Amino acid sequence: MALLEVKQVSKHFGGLVANQEVSFTLEQHEVLGLIGPNGAGKTTLFNCIAGFYPVTSGQVLFDGRDITALRDYHIARLGLARTFQIFQASGDLKVLENVMVGAFLRTGSRRKARSAAEGCLDFLGIRAAGGNMMADLPVAAQKRVALATALASDPKLMLLDEVGAGLNKSELEGLVALLNRIHRERGVALLLTEHVLEMVMALSHRVIVLESGQKIAEGEPAEVVKNPEVIRAYLGDHYVRRREIGHA
Amino acid sequence: MEAIRNAFDFSDLPRSELIIAALALLFLLLFPVLPHSSFAMATMIQFLMFSLYGMGWNLIGGYGGQVDLGKAQYVGIGAYTTAVLMIRLDMPFWFSLPVGLALAVLWSFIIGYPLFRLKGHYFAIATIATSLVLKDLFEVWNFVGGARGLEIPLKGHLPNWLYLQFKQDYYYFYVLLAMFLVGLIYVNGFRHSRLGFQLRAIKDNENVARSLGIDAHWCKIKAYATATAFVAAVGSFHACYNFNIEPEDVMSLDLSVLIALMAMLGGAGSMWGPIIGAAILVPMKSYLGDWLGGKAGMAGLDLLLYGAIIMFIAAAQPRGLYGIVEALRVRRQR
Repeated sequence: MALLEVKQVSKHFGGLVANQEVSFTLEQHEVLGLIGPNGAGKTTLFNCIAGFYPVTSGQVLFDGRDITALRDYHIARLGLARTFQIFQASGDLKVLENVMVGAFLRTGSRRKARSAAEGCLDFLGIRAAGGNMMADLPVAAQKRVALATALASDPKLMLLDEVGAGLNKSELEGLVALLNRIHRERGVALLLTEHVLEMVMALSHRVIVLESGQKIAEGEPAEVVKNPEVIRAYLGDHYVRRREIGHA
Repeated sequence: MEAIRNAFDFSDLPRSELIIAALALLFLLLFPVLPHSSFAMATMIQFLMFSLYGMGWNLIGGYGGQVDLGKAQYVGIGAYTTAVLMIRLDMPFWFSLPVGLALAVLWSFIIGYPLFRLKGHYFAIATIATSLVLKDLFEVWNFVGGARGLEIPLKGHLPNWLYLQFKQDYYYFYVLLAMFLVGLIYVNGFRHSRLGFQLRAIKDNENVARSLGIDAHWCKIKAYATATAFVAAVGSFHACYNFNIEPEDVMSLDLSVLIALMAMLGGAGSMWGPIIGAAILVPMKSYLGDWLGGKAGMAGLDLLLYGAIIMFIAAAQPRGLYGIVEALRVRRQR
């Protein structure tokens, strides 16, 4: 049985169509990339899956259960954790406390939440930052804290929205290794959107391409990048024609 | 069991704070035997009352970041329940206290449900409105004495522990000090609890909190109800201490604003904040009010001062005086 099943999901904002009848499945323990140019509707689709927006039509199943009408916090409790593109914190919680909030989803005990949170910080290699405020950390470390917090809530599936944004090359490599470990050692399935295509290609088993709210391609990373529809979406008609001429 | 351990666990606080707290506690315990004027004693009792109000306010206003300007309605519910039950049913304080608490908490759930659909300034304004409406209702409700209020008659010989009627103020002082300590320990447990953590996460970023499985709406209502219990308990005490209550006294907007102001001045979202705020503003209010009252045309000057304080907090340090201390400590560590 698929872990996540998205069936014919549409999301309209008034007259604006953000997602149009998007369908895909994500298998247990799979890493699925969701790519597409700016404004393709990736984040909207995330928000629909995670229950932040009500869908206009369609259905979302998670772990065999219809979650289309559930509230966001309810969906999170079922084991679907999402991270945000922009993570702002007013600075009331220290890093360890932040991660403990995630762990408190599964336990009412401060002692247990604390040891779970320390375990997650250890796992992501930022144990030493536990006593810092979020705002005092560099961006790469902040992203790790966000990951640790989501991980502490013991999810089956993590939705990662642009986790690579704003990172340099070596930081990206570190992040890819980290996500690989989260997937392999913790058995968490991943659904990630990314502008940084390299990262998606390195991680994903399969990739889905969105353009103007619609799914235009699906398949293994190496195939998808050769798909003329995908090239058109990213680079424009011009490049597709030139390729065809070149081949002819 | 762990909840009790959490409540008595002060180990995460700096040692300097614990030493100051211990000295302050010693001073409070000994205050009645030290030489003092009756005016000073009355001021001390006010200080303890406002500390408790502020500790309650801090649960939702500080840790939860929801600026609540309607706490006076719960002072009123607590005070009126105790007064009515004492006058009509001859019920002792120790029975009317939990009844008042339960009624106030019930009311807080009823209005909390719609109130917390609002955010930010809209929430703050709505809390003022609910409190004022309740006060207006009490002013025209004859059963509770209308605008003239209620007067609790003397019940037998003094001191009367059952009805909390004493001739000397130090009895009241110690009863209140006991409530203060229970409140302090409760707050310490609260900030270590799951709800405490979840509230702070909501204050940080509500969307992130929801994505971690936190039902933000319900968490706020729970914290609001807990805050209400603090305020209503002191309200019940107030009825016995004053013998006489009226809507203008226990349910006024002034009282709501003062409660929030003291907690914010001392430091919203910190354990000592409300106590620091009350320790500064209560004596200032009593002595300044006393002094200004004697001068013609100067009676409103204290209000001007409150306005200046709000502006100072908003501009300089949203986390109040305790926030300033904390910032200095962080800077020194570097």
